[in-house]
Amino acid sequence: MAGILDVPKPRINCAMLSQHISRPVCFVGRVEKVHPSGKTFTVSDGEGKMATVELNEPLEEELSGVLEVIGMVSNKGAIMAAAYNMLREDKGIPFDLELYNEALKVIHDFPQHYPFEVAASG
Amino acid sequence: MAVNLTQGAIEALFEDSPVNNPVLQLLNMRQVSSASGPPRFRLMMSDGRHSLSCFLLATQLNHLQEENLLEPHCVCMVKKTVTSKLPDGRRVVIVVDMDILQSAEEAGGKIGNPTPYNTGRTSPTQNLVSASPPSAAVPGTSYANNSTAGSPTRGRGRGFVGKYPMKVSPMKASPMKVSPMKASPMKASPMKASPMKASPMKASPMKASPMKASPMKFSTKAIPIANLNPYQSKWTVRARVTNKSNIRTWSNSKGEGKLFSFEIVDESGEIKITAFNKEVDKFFSLVEQGKVYYISKATLKVANKQYTTLKNDYEMTLHANSSIVPCNDSEGIPTVHCDFVPIAELENRDKDAIIDVIGVCKSAEDVSRITTKTSREVSKRALNLIDTTGKVVTVTLWGEEAEKFDGSRQPVVAIKGARLSDFGGRSLSALFSSTIMVNPDIPEAFRLRAWYDQEGYALHTQSLTETRSVGAGGTMSWKTLSDVKSEHMGQGEKADYFSCVATVLYARKENCLYQACPSADCNKKVIDQHNGLYRCEKCNREFPNFKYRLLLSANLADFGDNQWVTCFQETAEVLLGHSAETLGLLRDTNEAAFDEVFQRLNFTTHVFKNRVKLETYNDESRVKVTVMDVQPLDHREYSRRLLSNIHKLAS
Repeated sequence: MAGILDVPKPRINCAMLSQHISRPVCFVGRVEKVHPSGKTFTVSDGEGKMATVELNEPLEEELSGVLEVIGMVSNKGAIMAAAYNMLREDKGIPFDLELYNEALKVIHDFPQHYPFEVAASG
Repeated sequence: MAVNLTQGAIEALFEDSPVNNPVLQLLNMRQVSSASGPPRFRLMMSDGRHSLSCFLLATQLNHLQEENLLEPHCVCMVKKTVTSKLPDGRRVVIVVDMDILQSAEEAGGKIGNPTPYNTGRTSPTQNLVSASPPSAAVPGTSYANNSTAGSPTRGRGRGFVGKYPMKVSPMKASPMKVSPMKASPMKASPMKASPMKASPMKASPMKASPMKASPMKFSTKAIPIANLNPYQSKWTVRARVTNKSNIRTWSNSKGEGKLFSFEIVDESGEIKITAFNKEVDKFFSLVEQGKVYYISKATLKVANKQYTTLKNDYEMTLHANSSIVPCNDSEGIPTVHCDFVPIAELENRDKDAIIDVIGVCKSAEDVSRITTKTSREVSKRALNLIDTTGKVVTVTLWGEEAEKFDGSRQPVVAIKGARLSDFGGRSLSALFSSTIMVNPDIPEAFRLRAWYDQEGYALHTQSLTETRSVGAGGTMSWKTLSDVKSEHMGQGEKADYFSCVATVLYARKENCLYQACPSADCNKKVIDQHNGLYRCEKCNREFPNFKYRLLLSANLADFGDNQWVTCFQETAEVLLGHSAETLGLLRDTNEAAFDEVFQRLNFTTHVFKNRVKLETYNDESRVKVTVMDVQPLDHREYSRRLLSNIHKLAS
C-alpha cells in the first residue's frame, strides 16, 4: 500500500474499526500507552474506547496528547500506521475529542451529505 | 472549711487593684460558644463576701474543664488575671492561670454567703426577675419560685439568678443549671454572636433570666412569625434569612447613619428586620443569607409598606439587646419560597409584575457604568438566562450585584422578586428588594443544571429580549447569509439583527479611513482647507489637526452566499487588529505594511452581529448591512450548534 496517502481514508472511531478491516482509515485519538519497544501504542477515541496502533519503525519521539493516524486496519482490528501527526495543544484551543466523535457519527450517518470517499485526503 | 477564701479579692480583681494569688470559689460555670475557635468558659467566682460572674477562663485553661476539674464549688487559687474592658465599657476578668485547691466534693458546698458584687451599673435584670413569676409558675420549677420569692434582690446576681437556694441543693440537679448551659440556644446567644463584645454581666441575665426559671422545653420553644405582634415582650422566632441587603448609609438634615435589612421566613410567614448603626456592626457579618437563626428581643412595629413587599403587617427593628443566634437545626424551616415562572411564560405576564425566575446564565455582559436620571452613577450588568422552555430573557442586575456577578461558568441564577418590563420585548430587572441566588441549593437548580449540560447548551435559542446593541451575546438569531435575501431581512419597518459565522473575502482599503473632527463625540468628516487647517461643518470650527476614523467596506461569505457589509470604527479596528490612528500612520508612511494588514484580514472567519435595513438614497433602495460586533469564532460552540441543528433536521 504505497499509495495510502493518495487514496480516500474515512475518518472512524474504535466502534467502526471492524467495518474497515483491510481498508485505509484516518483515526484521531488520545495517546494512552506506548509499548516499551516503541513499535506499538494505544489510543482512546472520543467514547473512551481503546485501539492499538502498530508502527513499522520504532518511535523516535515522545508521543502525547491527541494525534491523527493514517493507516490500514489489520485483521485483528489494529491500525497499521503509515503516518501520524500530533495535534499540538499548546496553540489555541485543545482538541475536543468528544465533539469530534459526535461529528464523526454525523458523517457516517449521512454519507449522502458527506461524500468524502471521493476526496483525496481524510 | 479547710481553706479560706481571700475576702475582698473580687473587688480587687474587678477594680484591677493588686491582689496576690487570691483563693476563690467557683460558684457556677457556663460555656460561651464562640462562632469560631475553641469554646470559652465563663465563671462565677466568689471570695466568700462577693460573687462576680464576669470571669472568663483563658482558653489555655480549658483542659481544666475538659478534665472535669472545674466544678461548681471547687476552690481555686487564681494566679494570674487580665482585666479587659469591652468596647461598651464593661469589664471582664480573664483568668490566665489558676490552680484547683479543692475539688467541689472536698469543699462540700458554697462557702459563706456571698452577695453579688455591685459593679456600679444598674442591671435591667431586676425587671426581668420581677417579670419571671409567671413562667416560674410552670410546674416543676419550684426552685425558680424559691429564688424569686426568697431573694428578690438576687436579680442583681448578674446572670445566676437561681443560685441562692442552691446552697442546699447541688446545682447540677437543678433544671436551672441545665438549661442555661446547653439547652437553650437563647442562653448562648450574646456570646455566640461575639464572644468578647457580649457582656457576661449584662447580656446574660437579660437573655437568660426569663427562660432560666422555666423548663427547657419552654425555653427552646420558638413562636411562629405569623404570631408576632408588638404587644408581646418575650418571644423567640426560629427562621431562615432569605434576603439580606447590603449596608446602606444615609445622610440628611437629621444626621447620618447606616442600616441594613434582611428578611426571615418560617413555615408560618415572613417578616423584615432592619438594623441601624451599632446593630449593623454587631449583626451584619453574623447574618448570612440562607441560614437559620434564633432571633429574639427586637422591636416590632407596623410595617412601612413603602419599603417592603412582604406579607406581614409588622416589621422588626433590632436594638442593643436584640439577640440573633445561629441555629444548626434548620429542619422544618422552609428555604426561600420561590414561585418560578417559566421564561417562555413571561410573554403572557403583565408589565411591572414582580416575579421569580430561574435559569442558566448562558452569557453575561461585562459590567458597565451608567448615569441615572438623578445623575447618580450606577453599575449594571445584563445576563441572559435560559430555562427548559428554550427561551432566553435578559435580566439586568444593578450596583454591587452587577459588579460581583461572575457568569463565566454559566451558573444557575435564581432571582426572587424581579420586575418584568416590556423594554426591548420582554426583559427583567433585579430590584433593590430582589434576592439573587447563584447556584442555589434547590431542586429546580439541579434539574436546570443537568438539562443545560446535556442538551440546553446546544439549543438554538430565541430571546424574549430584543438586542438593541452590541455585546448581548447568545440572544441573537443565527442566520446564514443567504437568509438575508430569502427572508427579506431589513425590509420591514424596523431594522433586523442577526448573527452569522462568516469569512472575510475582501476588505476595501480604498477610502477605509477618513479625516474626522478631532473634538470628542464629533466624528464628522473635516474639510482640508489646504492651509494646514481642517474645518468641521458640524462644529463650525477649524482645527489644526484631525483624527483618523475607519469606515470599512468588506465582503463576507459563508457556504451559501456573500454580502457586502459596513464596519465602523470599533468593529473595523477589531477586524484589522490595529487602531485607526495606527492605520492612518501606516498608510501615510509604509504602504506595504498597510497592504499587509488587509491581506492578513482576508479569509479569516469571525462571528458577526449585524444590523440589516433597507435604505433608500436618491430613490434607490438597497439593503444595507452594518456590522455591530465582531467576535472570535468559538469553534467548539459553533460545532455544537451545528451538530444540534443537524440532529434537529434529522429527527
